[in-house]
Amino acid sequence: MPKLLDKKDPFFIDFPMRVALIQKGMAKERIDVYLGSRLRTLSWVSDAFCPWRSYVVIPPEGLPTVFTFVIDSARIADESWLDDDHVLGYAPMGGMDQISIISDFIKDILKGKKGRIGFETGMSNYLPEGNLTHFEYEAFRAALPGHEFINAHSIVDRLSIIKDQGTINRFRKASRIVDEGHRAVKEALSNGGWKGVTETEIAGIAALAMRRAGSVWEWSFTGGNEIASGYRTGLAGCACTPATTRKLKKGDSLMVDIHAMFKLALGDHAHNYFIGSATKRQLWHARNFIDIVSRTLKSYKAGASPSSIAEEMMGFAEERGFAEYMVPGFEHGIGMLGDEWRIGMNDGPFPYWTDPDHTYKENEVLICAMQYACPDEQIGFRYENPILILKDKCEAMSKFGLRIEVIE
Amino acid sequence: MEHKVAYLSQQWRDEAEKRLKAELSPEKMKHLTSSVAYVYVDCPDGKIKYLYFKMDNGQFSKILVGENDPPDADFRVTGPYEIFASLTQGKIKAQWALMRGKLKLKGNMVKALKLASLADRMNKIFESIPTHY
Repeated sequence: MPKLLDKKDPFFIDFPMRVALIQKGMAKERIDVYLGSRLRTLSWVSDAFCPWRSYVVIPPEGLPTVFTFVIDSARIADESWLDDDHVLGYAPMGGMDQISIISDFIKDILKGKKGRIGFETGMSNYLPEGNLTHFEYEAFRAALPGHEFINAHSIVDRLSIIKDQGTINRFRKASRIVDEGHRAVKEALSNGGWKGVTETEIAGIAALAMRRAGSVWEWSFTGGNEIASGYRTGLAGCACTPATTRKLKKGDSLMVDIHAMFKLALGDHAHNYFIGSATKRQLWHARNFIDIVSRTLKSYKAGASPSSIAEEMMGFAEERGFAEYMVPGFEHGIGMLGDEWRIGMNDGPFPYWTDPDHTYKENEVLICAMQYACPDEQIGFRYENPILILKDKCEAMSKFGLRIEVIE
Repeated sequence: MEHKVAYLSQQWRDEAEKRLKAELSPEKMKHLTSSVAYVYVDCPDGKIKYLYFKMDNGQFSKILVGENDPPDADFRVTGPYEIFASLTQGKIKAQWALMRGKLKLKGNMVKALKLASLADRMNKIFESIPTHY
């Protein structure tokens, strides 16, 4: 029996309803069994962190079953709403390897009939996406001869765009946790505390504070807490800065981009500083960045699109004379763990990238993500914050103040 | 000369039941409630045979041998007669056979892991039965 979920819990998500909606989508597309393999699908359906190669098999009715590496299946069953009869382990043993156990399971569901099997394929710039590999696809086809395989990921994608209240509350909580990390970093670096401190230590200071506040992981696959200082903040297009052992120096700009995970919802907020002192020119760059971020946050609302936001903001940057420093993208998608980068459906001009004309709707959550980089002056800034799209505005979930301060 | 019984015969089943009940107390069986079916393919007479156990609170409540489909069980282990015969003669271990795909398990792997040591104890007892294969 699945575990009972407390509907009064602010973080309650109606997972049986999610499964029922997937099954409704399957029926509409005449799919008999859904074989999910993407991390985003596993998180969205199981409510558990599935770090090993995992699959979820969804029958036309009834509960889904997660298959994962046997060493982790008891832990996933413990954390998921699903019971241990619906979280099964695979292992390199007769009948227990992932292809045999899943194909036998699917055969049992179909009771000897040939069926249409929905699976997940595509491409992504995001490493842990989890599409079925070519080898897996061929192996399942061989193990399930005569069955029809249909790429069906759009069923889950469509359902997961608009966030329910429990998911939104989890994101709010993850963002509050990130605020704790930022407070701890600022406190540690202030009053000369920055002297001799490395980027990796800053990442650790933030991690400790966030874990104390309830985070279970600095989830970002780009290196956990991303910290950049000095010239590293200004690397062209530099939106990926796993912390290094570089020590802070007076006059550095410092980018603190930290990540917390709470019940698979993802906190992601970047804040920027100057260390010790800042020149007039550095402060000019900082003002540019703060102004464009403020303006961008005022532009997000239902009905806007990535291209309309980008056009408006690049116009503003051009007018102010800093367009050359802006990376011309202002957001990326976000959902429960594994759902990152692409916004909306796979219906843009480039397969599996965000459709620039995607129209934002109420209760979508995305990361407002802005990058300013001036390699010649070895300076750059980053802003990231999960935002909730509302009817005529957005809610920035992380509340740590938007400014670029000089830390003495 | 020691009297030998035919593997998977009714006499072999009776001897297995007697020895299992005598040597594996409910405590030794960890008060387990479960069921297992071994399905033997490629038997010397060309038939498919089975050996089925049901345990209630650590006591063997049903032990069956038969042909074709066994009763429904929590776990089903399928493989060639030769492999099972090697197993019950102590020539190979169950884990060795499973890890090489010689035997095929169906059931919840995590729960099966908990049974692995019990299966080894049972196989030790089968090994002690004077059997001709």
